[in-house]
Amino acid sequence: MIRHRQLLVGFALVLLLGLAVTAEIPLHEFEQALHGIPVNDIDAMLGAIELGFGQPDFPAEQLLRLIDRLAGRPAPAIEKEAVLRVITHAIEEGLPIEGMVDKAFEGLARSVPMAQLENGLQQLHILLAEIRDLLYSRGIFSAGPGAQSTAINALPIERFNLLVLHISEAIDSYLSGGGSPFESQLLFEEVHERLTQLQGVILDPMDVELVFERINPSDLTQVALTAVS
Amino acid sequence: MYRAQDEVSLLRASLQGDTSAWGEIISRYKDAVFGLCLGFLRNRADAEDLSHDAFIRAYVNLRKYNLDRKFSTWLFTIAANLCRNKLRYRRNHPTGEMPLHLQGGKDPAKVIDKEDQHAQIQQALTQLPYSYRAPLVLRFYNDLSYREISEVLSIPEGTIKTRIHRGKIMLKELIEKERDPA
Amino acid sequence: MTTDRFEDLLRSTLKAETEAAADRIADLEDRVILEIEERSPKLLWHEWLRQLLAPTTGSRIGQLLVVGATAAVFLFVGMGISSNLLRNNASPRLSLQPVRAADGTQEVLFVLPAMDAENVAVVGSFNSWEETQLSDQDGDGIWTASIPLSPGRYEYAFLIDGRWWGQDPLADEYVQSFGEFSSVRYIGRGGDEV
Repeated sequence: MIRHRQLLVGFALVLLLGLAVTAEIPLHEFEQALHGIPVNDIDAMLGAIELGFGQPDFPAEQLLRLIDRLAGRPAPAIEKEAVLRVITHAIEEGLPIEGMVDKAFEGLARSVPMAQLENGLQQLHILLAEIRDLLYSRGIFSAGPGAQSTAINALPIERFNLLVLHISEAIDSYLSGGGSPFESQLLFEEVHERLTQLQGVILDPMDVELVFERINPSDLTQVALTAVS
Repeated sequence: MYRAQDEVSLLRASLQGDTSAWGEIISRYKDAVFGLCLGFLRNRADAEDLSHDAFIRAYVNLRKYNLDRKFSTWLFTIAANLCRNKLRYRRNHPTGEMPLHLQGGKDPAKVIDKEDQHAQIQQALTQLPYSYRAPLVLRFYNDLSYREISEVLSIPEGTIKTRIHRGKIMLKELIEKERDPA
Repeated sequence: MTTDRFEDLLRSTLKAETEAAADRIADLEDRVILEIEERSPKLLWHEWLRQLLAPTTGSRIGQLLVVGATAAVFLFVGMGISSNLLRNNASPRLSLQPVRAADGTQEVLFVLPAMDAENVAVVGSFNSWEETQLSDQDGDGIWTASIPLSPGRYEYAFLIDGRWWGQDPLADEYVQSFGEFSSVRYIGRGGDEV
């Protein structure tokens, strides 16, 4: 009887522990998944992912799922690792990666060759970095996570990241569809359209207006050129 | 027969299925709706089609229209949404369309000075991004207030003012660039 | 040029271009009323779809026809549901009124006519590009699924017996990724109703 009770208590504890742990994804699950590929430079990647945990809106579950799905693909491990590395570099740079993760999922679903997938992700990575720099250079900053704006143009980082994400994705979409970086007006229209569609839906209206105020078509051409060269 | 009737009676009658009453409503609003669509879409055939669709859709949805609300605003919202959808579709299916200022068989060589100014603005309007063009059309063709424009386009009133202000500047810049491409 | 003069010029331009095209809408009332008063055709609407919507990776014209025809049919179906113009029993699944939860999540309807298909699924950014099955319970060739989506922008495509079909007639726009078309829907924008 005592043994049964001990078992029950033990079981309950394990259950509780499990519940507590699934609130976040433990690093060792990522380690396991990365071994499944297998990845050579696992420590560097785990380091990047750990950094990511500290970032707001970090898509941990999605990333884990991506690693698992990559592992299941018939392709050389070294190529899969290259794909992942583009994403982990972006994490290290503090860039929002949900667009890259989604793009990777789509590429895998479409059975795109790993090298092409890597290139595609690299293009998006460059765009994210360039757009963030562009916003900074025009006085649009991100404040700390969850902070209220202290300066007029310091946006909470979640909102700032959304701007970076959607502007970059719009340019990426434009370029992937064969659009020329030199058609500044067209490129601007693409970005403008997307931000307008999302304005007041998932993007703060004033944030969007701030972008339109500060960014002009030739800025976007410069960014696009950097991404394609 | 319907000349003297006020709008609310016409709308009530239309709700009951009186299509002649709806016809009178169309007569009263078709210029406004067509002008809106033409301004937004920059193409006569599309503007005609969408004006037609707007009145069909408004009739079909009349039950949802709240009689306390201004009818024109509601109608224009329907038209604006249809235009926006059309433009999205068009972005992915580009056709080589003749610019609006040359549609209707105008000979570009014979354009005189006053018409020339109109043609310049028409051309610049076509080049303007939709988000800037739409508020301008609603303001300077349909004569809507900022609040009404805000309702029709579902954009905050402050944003409308900014768009109109910047839209006018961009129009002038586009016209200048056309005159002096250097 | 002063602002007032420029505004006047803008006004007169818009007015002039509308007047120049006024002949287009001379008999608009009659045409609209005619369409409203016409009874629905005997031909079941989904037979039109079957003829027009056999999925192909084909020509742009074919796709345009498909999109146009489907859009027309859906408008017509919408009219029928709203104002009882159709006598047949329109499918109750095709409710065009999205239901919104308090947090803005909507049940979004994905519909694809695919008469001879055995399996239809949708993949997109809302399911990590992993298949969500559509179903055709009454076997009429119209496959549907209702997916709860929170406000935002979603890219997706259909898989019809394993073949990719990237241009959903009900999409808000199309984009290209990796050289193929995907569809885009924006969820949650106010004023999209009506």
